[in-house]
Amino acid sequence: MAQRRKKEKRQKTIRYFDYSLLFLVIFLLCFGLIMLYSTSSYYGTIRFGSAAYYVKKQLFATALGVAVMLVIAMIPYRFWMKVSGLAYLAALSLCVVVIFIGRESKGQARWLNIAGLSFQPSEFAKLAVIIFFAFVIYKTSKQLKNFKNLIKVGMIVLPIFAVVAYNNLSTAIIIFGIAVCMMFVASPKYSHFLIVGIAGVAFGAVFLMLASYRMERIQIWLDPERFDKGYQTLQGLYAIGSGGLFGKGLGESIQKLGFIPEAQNDMIFSVICEELGLFGAVCLILLYLLLIWRFMIIANNAPDLYGALIVVGIMAHISIQVVLNIAVVTNTIPNTGISLPFVSYGGTSILFLLAEMGLALSVSRGIKFEVD
Amino acid sequence: MEKEQKELPFYRNKTMHRKKIWIFFLAVFFMMTFLIGRLVYLMIFCSVYYGQKAEDLHERERDIKAARGRILDANGVVLATNKSVCTISVIHSQITDPEAVIHALTKELELSEEKVRKRVEKVSSIERIKTNVDKEVGDRIRAYGLSGIKVDEDYKRYYPYDTLASKVLGFTGADNQGIVGLEVRYDDFLKGENGKILTLTDARGVEIENAGETRLEPVNGYDLCLSLDYNIQKYCEQAAEKAYIRKEADSVSVIVMNPKNGEIMAMVNYPEFNLNQPFLLNMESDAVGDEKQTLLNQMWRNQCISDTYEPGSTFKIITASAALEKGVVSLTDQFYCPGYKLVEDRRIHCARVTGHGAETFETGIMNSCNPVFIELGERIGTEDFFGYFKQFGLLQKTNIDLPGEAATIMHKQENVGPVELATISFGQSFQITPVQLVTTVSSIINGGIRVTPHFGVCVKDTDGNLVKEFNYETTEGICTQKTSETMRYLLQRVVDEGGGKNAKIEGYAIGGKTATSQTLPRSEHRYISSFLGFAPADDPKVLAIAIIRNPSGVYYGGTIAAPVVKEILENILPYLEH
Repeated sequence: MAQRRKKEKRQKTIRYFDYSLLFLVIFLLCFGLIMLYSTSSYYGTIRFGSAAYYVKKQLFATALGVAVMLVIAMIPYRFWMKVSGLAYLAALSLCVVVIFIGRESKGQARWLNIAGLSFQPSEFAKLAVIIFFAFVIYKTSKQLKNFKNLIKVGMIVLPIFAVVAYNNLSTAIIIFGIAVCMMFVASPKYSHFLIVGIAGVAFGAVFLMLASYRMERIQIWLDPERFDKGYQTLQGLYAIGSGGLFGKGLGESIQKLGFIPEAQNDMIFSVICEELGLFGAVCLILLYLLLIWRFMIIANNAPDLYGALIVVGIMAHISIQVVLNIAVVTNTIPNTGISLPFVSYGGTSILFLLAEMGLALSVSRGIKFEVD
Repeated sequence: MEKEQKELPFYRNKTMHRKKIWIFFLAVFFMMTFLIGRLVYLMIFCSVYYGQKAEDLHERERDIKAARGRILDANGVVLATNKSVCTISVIHSQITDPEAVIHALTKELELSEEKVRKRVEKVSSIERIKTNVDKEVGDRIRAYGLSGIKVDEDYKRYYPYDTLASKVLGFTGADNQGIVGLEVRYDDFLKGENGKILTLTDARGVEIENAGETRLEPVNGYDLCLSLDYNIQKYCEQAAEKAYIRKEADSVSVIVMNPKNGEIMAMVNYPEFNLNQPFLLNMESDAVGDEKQTLLNQMWRNQCISDTYEPGSTFKIITASAALEKGVVSLTDQFYCPGYKLVEDRRIHCARVTGHGAETFETGIMNSCNPVFIELGERIGTEDFFGYFKQFGLLQKTNIDLPGEAATIMHKQENVGPVELATISFGQSFQITPVQLVTTVSSIINGGIRVTPHFGVCVKDTDGNLVKEFNYETTEGICTQKTSETMRYLLQRVVDEGGGKNAKIEGYAIGGKTATSQTLPRSEHRYISSFLGFAPADDPKVLAIAIIRNPSGVYYGGTIAAPVVKEILENILPYLEH
């Protein structure tokens, strides 16, 4: 850094690129693919006769994603201001379309089949919300001191929240969380968010009371051993518990052998715990923390509020998913389906995560160094 | 591009935004720290708990049952052996068509659909449905070819002769463990040690390759060789059955023993029960629950060792021996029987109410005359009488190798007055078990050696090699050779010309004593008739007792029990010589 500053003094214009972030992302991708292979080889063999079935599909999405990331990193992020409204509308319509013609899985239609590939519009919705909402806040940031205006701005994400929530509540909550985080950073006030927080808790409580199956989830959460439906949670806990300090070793998990249902999806962290132990699990959490720290650095040094808000949105997205996923797997909160970024199986998810990384890198390229 | 960026307006509210981003980052940091804490709790402090649970889930333990040792009679006839049966289990994760599995198992195993469904639908690595299923049924289930059903072959105890010596042999429970009789007494030798296969499986129950399996080979049980003789037991059961039917008795017991070493050759408690169906009552009854259990316990009861009775006149052998030991009587001593004897203010009757008149000690025992023995009791005295009981071993258990032996019920010595002494003298007012009587008489007639009655001779391994020979305690000097010899002579006289003449067999010297005792309460007029006989009288090789409980019609031991022993001895004496 010191060297660069010297350089800057000399040249005034410097090219900055956050290689730390890039390497962190590449490392996480590789780690994710290895763990995905370890976890999914059993189901792959049983269902499709190929141990690499899942990891091949993920690898394809990852390759595509890396290409997308690099392209987006090259495009100045302010370009997205112009198309964000369009992207938001596109995401909204895709999410509506999926309700009617989506491919069903476990009673909820979440996928669209486009040219033989499965596509999950709700993943796209997260990205669209980040760039569009950043744009809206950027334009209205002066008026956000006023609570009424804050609510008005917040209302903009309501349609997509409602549409996504129709068949994927967890993702809708993540979208809501991203929006709140972005507004929190943009607004100079704290009290407003206290009110939003209290309102959120109250709303959540009422929401739970409304349906008995939601209350059941709470009971399962409190005592998974007593309920048949606590099976998945319990199997995850067995995996985590049997990991111990250093784990059973890579590839040695037994819980992944059909005991944890769909271990390669939301429960993959429990297999990581079983194979790599507390040591591996903590290392992974620290990697995420490092990633989030990089986002913070980029956001803090972004050339304008729009760039800062985009990165805050991405930071919120990653943080919320990591925290909620690990909290679910460790039975710290009731079970809900949230995937672990870069590791869980899911092509659309990895594609859009990498697009977001491209955006963050693009913002990092605009950083200017101030000369004291 | 760079031009455009340079033209951007300066980003003003930076400080405030930075602060907020910091707050957000800190919040995430603390949440992740909390989650790390949660992980530490789960993976360090709960590790043993969850790890064990996971292992229980993954590990499939299969027992390799050890074959239970056989039970053989004195000539190697197999009295108890094993039959192949099947254990039916389901492996939940391997079931592809649960409805077909439920249907097949419900039909073949004759279980309720609800019960089968519950087991089939339970998520576990292996669930046992039924054990002890006939091999044919197991083969039929296997023939369905349904995945997820496991048919393991297994052993079940099988008794080739069904009822033979049922109350002696006993039977085994669902896990092949001995429950009653010799099966439980020698369980440690018979049961062997089950082996085990421990394997790790995935959720479908498929064994994981290279995970290795731990195999513990089973050790088969040892064969138990008995002194019981199938042929003698069979004769005795037939004789007992005949008496049981002819006399409409409650039950008939027979013991045949070698008086020299205590080896029991036969022990019958008619009616016997079917050892292959031990939970089926051997009588008409629709009792259920506790009531049925009580009846079953009665059915399984070995009356020869678990039930005490008043021995009556057979006990006169012991009184006579005690008198001879003390030297207070000789064969030629003169007695007079008016048909009763006054003891204190009580008039105790003789069996012959008109009296035997003048008689010697020898004729007194031949007549089984009560006043003679009351007189003997008085001559011995309470203290010495009890001393002889102790010397003869009558007050302690015989330590027969069967569970459930009852102890002698005798008066306390300090409570014995003249009346009690008189009744004890001819075998009333106290109770002993048949096996106690047989053992005590054996030691008197065998020259004074107290033997331990027993069935178990030795245990051998599957290849017939001797593993352990059982040694039983003997006590010498119970009585003198002289007393023993005199008693053999007297008891032969009883059979030759006295009350036991119904047991006389041409060509054999038989000794014996009859008894007829009234059970309590006396008002019911229920009797136990018995006869104890041995042969050859001068050197006894076999001693037999027959006890008929509550016979109808004639109830005198000499009339109904002596012929039973005669029939038995008639059959087995030539057999033993053979």
